Amino acid sequence: MSYKCSRCKRDVELDEYGGVRCPYCGHRVLLKERAPTVKEVPVE
Amino acid sequence: MAEDFEVEFIEREDRKARFLVRGMTPAVANGIRRAMVADVPTFSVDTVRFVENSSVMFDEMIGLRLGLVPLTTPLDDFEEGDVVTLALDVEGPATAYSGDIESSDELVQPAELNVPIIELKEGQRLQLEADAVLGSGKAHAKHQGGVAVGYRHLHRVEVVGDANEFEEQEPNILRGVIEEAAAEHAADESAEDGALVPTSEFDNDLTKRYPGKDVEVHDVPGAFVFHVETDGSFTVEELVRRAVESISDRAAELEEKVAI
Amino acid sequence: MMIPVRCFTCGNVVGEHWDEFKSRAREGDEDPAAVLDELGVERHCCRRMMVAHKDLVDVVAPYQ
Repeated sequence: MSYKCSRCKRDVELDEYGGVRCPYCGHRVLLKERAPTVKEVPVE
Repeated sequence: MAEDFEVEFIEREDRKARFLVRGMTPAVANGIRRAMVADVPTFSVDTVRFVENSSVMFDEMIGLRLGLVPLTTPLDDFEEGDVVTLALDVEGPATAYSGDIESSDELVQPAELNVPIIELKEGQRLQLEADAVLGSGKAHAKHQGGVAVGYRHLHRVEVVGDANEFEEQEPNILRGVIEEAAAEHAADESAEDGALVPTSEFDNDLTKRYPGKDVEVHDVPGAFVFHVETDGSFTVEELVRRAVESISDRAAELEEKVAI
Repeated sequence: MMIPVRCFTCGNVVGEHWDEFKSRAREGDEDPAAVLDELGVERHCCRRMMVAHKDLVDVVAPYQ
């Protein structure tokens, strides 16, 4: 899972033991990045 | 049906028309209306593949907006279920308009070029590929070619006497088209018996057309005034023609199937 | 957010007129009714789409 820290804007990798926290600046707000794949959406 | 319909245009533009049909039953009139709404297919975006969308709207919302943009549909060249690929790539700061959509087929283009899809700010980008499918209004309203399709009876207004001269006349509102039957009482000097007059010419108010007269309104049997607009996929003429064709095709099919 | 592409009620395409309506009746000082008449937005269902609309992209843009 790749996230981005909302304070230092660095990419963060989360594992199940580290808790939700940026390892660089300690900020607890992380943003989930959009997957780089092409997303197919049906129009309804 | 032994008799032919008698068709007379009251208003005729590419995307909007009003016409009178005589010699029709209400069942056929409604059948044609329904065929115009649900049976005549148009191209519409059905699947969108988002390569990049950093705009403020979700993929699904942008997909929905793309689906509603009308696309020109030359029905002679395509069959229901055919697919045309479209692409859109806009980088902010700019607004992505329907006119920015590029099509793989020059026959299928956005009918309106000025519909805003999404406003993009600095650094935002929308890049996508979309499949437009030729489908009918039965499947989804975005495939409807006809907009605000309806019909009314043709009205015949008869003057039956003078209104009470000491009473103030109340407005007598009527909408649609009237067939002039009392030209000598009409406020308009150029009125002629048998002429078709849209009620909007006299503010939809019969007391303005026949001042100081008592009137009675009757429906003309078997005469229907259709009001048809299209979303730009094709002309009104094409829409009505295709609708009638689809009804007659189905009637022929039924006849064939029940034949002994 | 953005002006709806079509009228909710009748399905007429109204989005194409938004830019002109906005510049003339919202930011300009023309009478909205006169502008809509001129643009050919006749029915009151379509007119309310334009009259009742508010662009919100600028409001939500900072929260990206």
